[in-house]
Amino acid sequence: MGGGDIRESFLNELAPVKTIGDLEQLRVRYLGKKGILTAELKKLGGLPPEERRSAGALLNETKIFVEAELAARKEELKELDLREKFASQAIDVTLPGKYTPPGRTHPIIRVMREATSIFVAMGFSVEEGPEVELDYYNFEALNIPKEHPAREMQDTFYVSPDIVLRTHTSPVQVRVMQRKKPPVKFIAPGKVYRCDADISHTPMFHQIEGFMVADDISFSHLKAVLESFLHRIFSPDVPVRFRPSYFPFTEPSAEVDIGCIFCKGTGCRTCKGTGWIEILGAGMVHPHVLQMVGYDARIYSGFAFGIGMERIAMLKYSIDDIRLFFENDLRFLGQF
Amino acid sequence: MRVPFGWLQEFINPGISVEGTAHLLTMSGLEVEALETDGDDVVLVINVTPNRADCLSVLGIARELSVLTGAPLNLPFPPAGAKPPVIKPVPASEIAVEIRNTGLCRRYAGRVIKNTRTGPGPEWMARRLEACGLRPINNIVDVTNYVLLELGHPLHAFDLNTLKGGRIVVDTADNVYQKIKTLDGVERKLPAGALVIADAEGPVALAGIMGGANTEVEDSTRDIFLEAAWFEPRNIRKTARALGLASESSYRFERGADIEIIPAALDRAASLMEELAGGALEGAVDVYPVKYRAPSIEFRADRVNKLLGAEIEEDEMLRILNRLGFAAEKSPGGAISASPPSYRLDVEGEADCVEEVARIHGYDKIPSVLPCSRLSADGAGAREDFIRLVGGVMRKSGYSEAVNYSFMNPRALENLALPPNDFRRSAVVLLNPLKQEESLLRTTVIPSLIENLRHNRERGLKNIRLAETAKVFIRTNEEQLPLEPLKLAGIAIEQRTHSFWRDAAEDFYLAKGAVEALLDELRIKDRHFAPSGEPFLHPGKSADLIAGGRKCGYVGVLSPAAAEKFEIRDKEEITVFELDLDVLLGLLPPPPVYKPVPKFPYIERDLAIVVEGGVKAADVIRYIKNYPSEFIEDAVVFDLYTGEKVPAGKKSMAFNIRYRASGRTLTEDEIEVIHAGLVKDLLTHTGGSLRQ
Ligand SMILES: [Zn+2]
Repeated sequence: MGGGDIRESFLNELAPVKTIGDLEQLRVRYLGKKGILTAELKKLGGLPPEERRSAGALLNETKIFVEAELAARKEELKELDLREKFASQAIDVTLPGKYTPPGRTHPIIRVMREATSIFVAMGFSVEEGPEVELDYYNFEALNIPKEHPAREMQDTFYVSPDIVLRTHTSPVQVRVMQRKKPPVKFIAPGKVYRCDADISHTPMFHQIEGFMVADDISFSHLKAVLESFLHRIFSPDVPVRFRPSYFPFTEPSAEVDIGCIFCKGTGCRTCKGTGWIEILGAGMVHPHVLQMVGYDARIYSGFAFGIGMERIAMLKYSIDDIRLFFENDLRFLGQF
Repeated sequence: MRVPFGWLQEFINPGISVEGTAHLLTMSGLEVEALETDGDDVVLVINVTPNRADCLSVLGIARELSVLTGAPLNLPFPPAGAKPPVIKPVPASEIAVEIRNTGLCRRYAGRVIKNTRTGPGPEWMARRLEACGLRPINNIVDVTNYVLLELGHPLHAFDLNTLKGGRIVVDTADNVYQKIKTLDGVERKLPAGALVIADAEGPVALAGIMGGANTEVEDSTRDIFLEAAWFEPRNIRKTARALGLASESSYRFERGADIEIIPAALDRAASLMEELAGGALEGAVDVYPVKYRAPSIEFRADRVNKLLGAEIEEDEMLRILNRLGFAAEKSPGGAISASPPSYRLDVEGEADCVEEVARIHGYDKIPSVLPCSRLSADGAGAREDFIRLVGGVMRKSGYSEAVNYSFMNPRALENLALPPNDFRRSAVVLLNPLKQEESLLRTTVIPSLIENLRHNRERGLKNIRLAETAKVFIRTNEEQLPLEPLKLAGIAIEQRTHSFWRDAAEDFYLAKGAVEALLDELRIKDRHFAPSGEPFLHPGKSADLIAGGRKCGYVGVLSPAAAEKFEIRDKEEITVFELDLDVLLGLLPPPPVYKPVPKFPYIERDLAIVVEGGVKAADVIRYIKNYPSEFIEDAVVFDLYTGEKVPAGKKSMAFNIRYRASGRTLTEDEIEVIHAGLVKDLLTHTGGSLRQ
């Protein structure tokens, strides 16, 4: 059998091979110890030298051809095999993944954290005070003695004649000043309580108190700190305005408005047509408050502000009912 | 304060629209909350802050507007300094006024008007009163109210002929008078310290708050004694609060009335009465023992600018203060010396003057400059960081953050079946709760979360996981502030029928897993769980967390009895947990110290034993880990089986035990010996047998 015939018969036998096993059998049949090509190669020894050279060259060429064909087909079959395996193992990849759906952040906590981070970035530390507070810290030390008309500004829950649920986070000012010498610079986030419940008031809500006292703090600093904060938490182009107001523990006092984010200042229901929304109260710490904790009001001055977090969250997320915050309805929480 | 624009225009022509007026007032501290149309007039609804008693009148608003616009004031009475009209004094025989407490009443003045015809007041006056929220009564009373609104000073009209003995005595009620029947027909017990106006026989008015019924002006009244006085603010407020009685009059007195406007207010009212009720002014009385003396406040212009961060000229400061009615001038020492007008009792010191300058100058004209200050590395602080971390871990376990009121229904304590001595019974009680269901402060967060769960279930939500980080309040004694420990509580309910990958674990283990995930995150290793005795939990499906050697919380299935008391009727199990975050915060370990990872391989053995149903996996693991062999590195439980293949009442548990030596490779042979010994001893210890 000549090299050309072997090549032809090999190709005829290779054509129908569909499995790696059949391919291996074919390999043995041609290249095994008793294979057709092996046998032909063995016969070479019996040929005359001049024939042997040309026949040998042809057989070797045929052997290389067969080996290459076998290898190529093996790759093809492996590829085919793998594809069949993949096809048989295929699953519905559109079925849901297995995981615990993460819980959601409460919008109030979310804005509290965001606001806290903004002030911390500005160098404010974070302080805390009791929610059930002495009348002294909640009122007296903040320049609101008993029988002061300003007490009417805040409907108070009483635990005893001398103990109240704090109506604002401002008592933390006094507690921190009693503990630390100036300069001080901190915020105090937390819950506060007012004996008041209607469509726009809840008996508990959240505030962030801000406070900064040093020997050179001015009203212009207060303006810049609050503007920076409001621009970060809303947007850099939201207009901010300060107008005079009254709090017994600050003087001068200010109410801070932002341009209505719903109507962009043209007037709507939320801003009662004014184009402005009241967002927080602030002012320069009243000298009486400083003096009561032994800070020398001739040397030190500072500012304080109180931000209602529900209001911030309502404006930031377009929430129209404050009571939603305290129902913990997952259809509500799931959106944050 | 409601101010009809038309009335305001009688005092000033501001030269701007009502909207422009509203804006100017708002930006100077008198916030105009609304503009209400009233017939052909517009009412400015102004939020007057408690310090600005001087703005509780048309005159007061006009004065402010005059400062802001520069437009002159048209006063319905002679300006300050002009000669007042001379009125002959009331003969002492008719009315003799005696102020017995000059601290509480610094001035008491009156007018006698005779032969009036009491009847309905004119229509125009009634409309203005109504526009300002007052009810017209009769021409005499209406005039007193009209002048109160116009000039801000409260007046009271007595029926002169009902005043007994021709005497007016101003004194506190203590020990002398017990009761008064006020104009509203209510007989009131006089509180201690209440200031009253009395005649020769008894009280005829609660000073500054409300007149007495016995001297009321009625249609039959012919002769009037018209009162205007100055009462001490705190006393008025104290009495008004003690009686729960507030009036337009007390509202103004307790904020500080203008003692100097008294004669003008009386004359304005008397002339209106003459005009509208046809009487004749017969005489005047004015007892003024404590004369008004304006404080003199000294401050430096540069100090004002330092506090404001502004550069306002000293002359501009003087101009602002003088326009506001202060007597302000440069003092010889180079400071500014300013005396506020008698209607600005709120101005006491430098800070008040700074505010006056700033608000008239305009807050918007003060520049914004960020402060320079000392750097601080404090950051948010460990506690804030910890609370954020806890919230994050809980969210990863599927718990959404809840925020609830700090209030608690007293019934919740019964629903939880807490024994009388349980610390959660020591709740802080509110004296004035909004409702009975919110009359306590929470001692546990669980009732709030149960309420949230019910809310969500009623709205068709199936799978609920909520967690809340909040302070609870534990009463210690009446005088001291309560303890405010920080808690983390969670609640969950799973309805698995509609979730694709069903979790085979019992609900209890899902809740416990959330707690363990937190403890792992916090690296708190000194911990274990032991059966819990919490009365509101399923006794067989609840555990206390013991960490650092003490109970730090619990996790478990809410007992069906408690669930029913909270009116939860779900058939699925509800799991809850509550942890003491303050305690866990204290247990946070120091930063980790690296130990080299093992160099030599381990050998593991699995072991399945059949034991009594009550044997606890944790006990078996503890036994294995404490077994006296230095090679036992770890042991975990990986299978639990109860059913046909083990005898009734028994269970099979499978453990994987890992052996390793630190300095060499262990051989199978030596482990064979140790493991055989362990198995034998463990079976003896548990009374179990090897699973076949
Ligand atoms: Zn708007």
